[in-house]
Amino acid sequence: MLKFFKLEMLSIFLILLVACSDVEDLELAMSDEVLEINVIPDATMPSSSAAMTESAEYNSERNAYFGDLHVHTMYSFDAFIFGTTSSPSDAYTFAKGGAITHPAGFEMKLDIPLDFYGVSDHAFYLGVLREMANPNSEISRHEIAAGMASLGDANDRGRKFAEVLGFLRSSRAQEINDPAIGKTAWDDIVATANRHNDPGNFTAFIAYEYTTTATDGGNLHRNVIFRGNVAPELPFSRIDSTNPEDLWNWMDQIRSAGIESLAIPHNSNGSNGNMFMLTDWLGNPLDGAYAEQRMRNEPLVEITQVKGTSDTHPALSPNDEWADFEIMPFQVASTRPSQPEGSYVREAYLNGIKMQEELGLNPYKFGVIGSSDTHNATYAGDEDDYWSKVGLRDSDGVKRGSVPLPDPRAGGDPYADTYFNTWGASGLAGVWAEENTRESIYDSFRRKETFGTTGPRMKVRFFAGYDLPSLEEEDFLGKSYAGGVAMGSDLLGDVNQQLSFIAWVARDANSAPLQRLQIVKGWMENGEPQEIVYDVACSDGGVVDPNSHRCPDNGAQVNLTDCRISSDVGAAELKTMWQDPDYDPSENAFYYVRALENPTCRWSTWDAIRAGVEPRSDMAATIQERVWSSPIWITPIQ
Amino acid sequence: MQSILKQPLLWFFVIGSLLFAVDSFFSENRNEIYVSAALQDRLGLLWETQTGLTASTEELDSLVNNWIQEEVLYQEALRLGLDQEDSIIRRRLVQKLNFIAESDPQPEPEEAGLEFFYQSSLGNYTLPTRYSFRQLYFTQRSEALTALEQIAGGQPANEFGETSMLSSNYAYRSALDLNATLGSGFVEQLQDIETSRWQGPIESGFGSHLIFLTNIHPQEVTPFSAIQEQVLLDYRQYQQENARQLYLDNLLNEYEIMVEAR
Repeated sequence: MLKFFKLEMLSIFLILLVACSDVEDLELAMSDEVLEINVIPDATMPSSSAAMTESAEYNSERNAYFGDLHVHTMYSFDAFIFGTTSSPSDAYTFAKGGAITHPAGFEMKLDIPLDFYGVSDHAFYLGVLREMANPNSEISRHEIAAGMASLGDANDRGRKFAEVLGFLRSSRAQEINDPAIGKTAWDDIVATANRHNDPGNFTAFIAYEYTTTATDGGNLHRNVIFRGNVAPELPFSRIDSTNPEDLWNWMDQIRSAGIESLAIPHNSNGSNGNMFMLTDWLGNPLDGAYAEQRMRNEPLVEITQVKGTSDTHPALSPNDEWADFEIMPFQVASTRPSQPEGSYVREAYLNGIKMQEELGLNPYKFGVIGSSDTHNATYAGDEDDYWSKVGLRDSDGVKRGSVPLPDPRAGGDPYADTYFNTWGASGLAGVWAEENTRESIYDSFRRKETFGTTGPRMKVRFFAGYDLPSLEEEDFLGKSYAGGVAMGSDLLGDVNQQLSFIAWVARDANSAPLQRLQIVKGWMENGEPQEIVYDVACSDGGVVDPNSHRCPDNGAQVNLTDCRISSDVGAAELKTMWQDPDYDPSENAFYYVRALENPTCRWSTWDAIRAGVEPRSDMAATIQERVWSSPIWITPIQ
Repeated sequence: MQSILKQPLLWFFVIGSLLFAVDSFFSENRNEIYVSAALQDRLGLLWETQTGLTASTEELDSLVNNWIQEEVLYQEALRLGLDQEDSIIRRRLVQKLNFIAESDPQPEPEEAGLEFFYQSSLGNYTLPTRYSFRQLYFTQRSEALTALEQIAGGQPANEFGETSMLSSNYAYRSALDLNATLGSGFVEQLQDIETSRWQGPIESGFGSHLIFLTNIHPQEVTPFSAIQEQVLLDYRQYQQENARQLYLDNLLNEYEIMVEAR
């Protein structure tokens, strides 16, 4: 069937080529069967001359743009089981401010549209489950398709999900792998992203998820994002190989044919130590070639999403009071515990600089973003309007364990037996880019001039250098870019000059005020990695204690009966010029910014208040929404 | 009779003609698969772009072999009618025909025709109400009030205000955009502001602002001349959809369609 469609596609190319006078395009199209490049024509694509024109808001000092790069629609095998019937086009329409109806019947809509968005459906079995529900399809007669067209309540869907997942992990999975179905869905995904892309106003990326797992079942999922409007004929999936190194080979290969892409790992927290291993797929020690290939293809990591936050873990950062934050303790899609070592971003950075010092290579020099991983074709929602992410399975407080069951379970537990209570309303990607176009935003991914938030649209700037301007200076940003480096960059250590940092965060005007601005530092000392969290600016005129490096408590309160917050404490912005009191230019080090909002009600508390019950005592009642910048790495001059 | 049946020559003819009949029956019905030199060249070229190496004779043989096997299976599948009643193939063929219908070359629109298209879809070329203003930002409302007094007394406005990530100038910003940046309810307060003098303070999610409103740009239809390029793109898309519809309508005319009553 696959081959059949390849041949068919070739004839389409020949038809398209009639309209294509450019010899280079012709050569690109000719090589389709090898690299499977599929140029989907789109009348709404601007001509290249139009794309070259700078938009009205072009800003050489860069604007902040917000987006979600992790979105599943009806084409994902699991989303379909969860009841999602929204298409990629529905999802992009939602991102631009339109409304989508949740499978459970309520309306989902953003107060403020997003600037960029990428539909990233699971490549394996793309569209297949949806096709099983079509009684006219060949595949609907497969035994695993039984009941697909008439899935019932959340429990029924949960059972079917477990059954299908088991089947997909079995040796029989190949029986339902129909690339022809995937091809039709993929063509729709590509054409839809091209149609919705609107340079200057809204960026729609072509994307998909490479959903692989380690041999022990640990999560190794990545989202692949394409820079342009041209995509490979079919996405590389775990059916092609479960080894992420093969994904990178494929990405290198299509890159050499002119298709630029990058992959963004997610849910390292549920990887059971596999995401940031110190060995390669075969168990060999990492070498320079591995580090280079990984960083060429994976400049970013998703630090937060609905299934928890992956900054750090209390067991890894015992001296960080904010480490115990939205910890999702399980391996993905299971209740097996996930080992913290090898699963969190900060530890990966530390291991990276250790390898830099010992071996001269760093495979973990990545920036960060947040995204939702919604399977509702929308977004995670906010704490006070939370949609979670698996359709009918977690669509209300009872199902997600924040509100007691009508009748307690056998054994007396009042709450549903679920892991959805370890999830949260999180994940937004922020970038600093000149303008809202695919090229400009994608290039910020490459520069790692990116940040991740737990939802609120906080903006964070971060510079390091030896010639930074004072905070009140004219042309402050221009001089910061000129006299230093921005987040995501390297800076060479210099014993003869004073290193300074500028950290600056602005609140989301439609969320809570800011409480504190922090710089997280990791460095090598006597051959061992160390970490410390500095508060560097405090709200309400607070001064950082020079010994504890902590701001005084600003006294912000949350009323847990109605979720009102203190109206008179907190900052709109926090900004500082900072010098590291223990800076040593001969050490490998990294620095990144973390900024915290005042506490607000967590989604589970909103659920409980609305249901008229007490918030669950074993879950956090409040949350401090936060933003993380990509790091700046200091490398000593050898 | 028996003697005739014993004639070897007769048997020779009978068996011979049978063999001939069987042979010609099968040769006439054997499907031909012709692997042209051009196709072989293409298979070789594809291999070359894939591996970066020129295909050896053995590799080329194997490529051709694979192609033949695939083609045979494909032809056999067609012969067995496996393409029938398969909704995926059905959808794929429809998709291909739509591609063809859409790529039917369309005449370049005359300017007059383009302008008519623009007039008939003015809603798509209309901008919402937008605001242009300068702003001074203060964390404390009391300081904003003091500054306003001093500006009214003749002090230059640029001596006041705190730096922030906000811009000092906002030009042509819509209500949705401003409320996203400055907090919901911000634009509503601009309604009471007069133009061309410092006024306020008004409140945002950040604090207090003095505002020098230069313009409220009313909802505005973008003139045709300024947006002609965009209109052309939209028109082409319209043409494409139209071409597809026209193609379908013409086809529908060629069919007698009967829908059984439910």
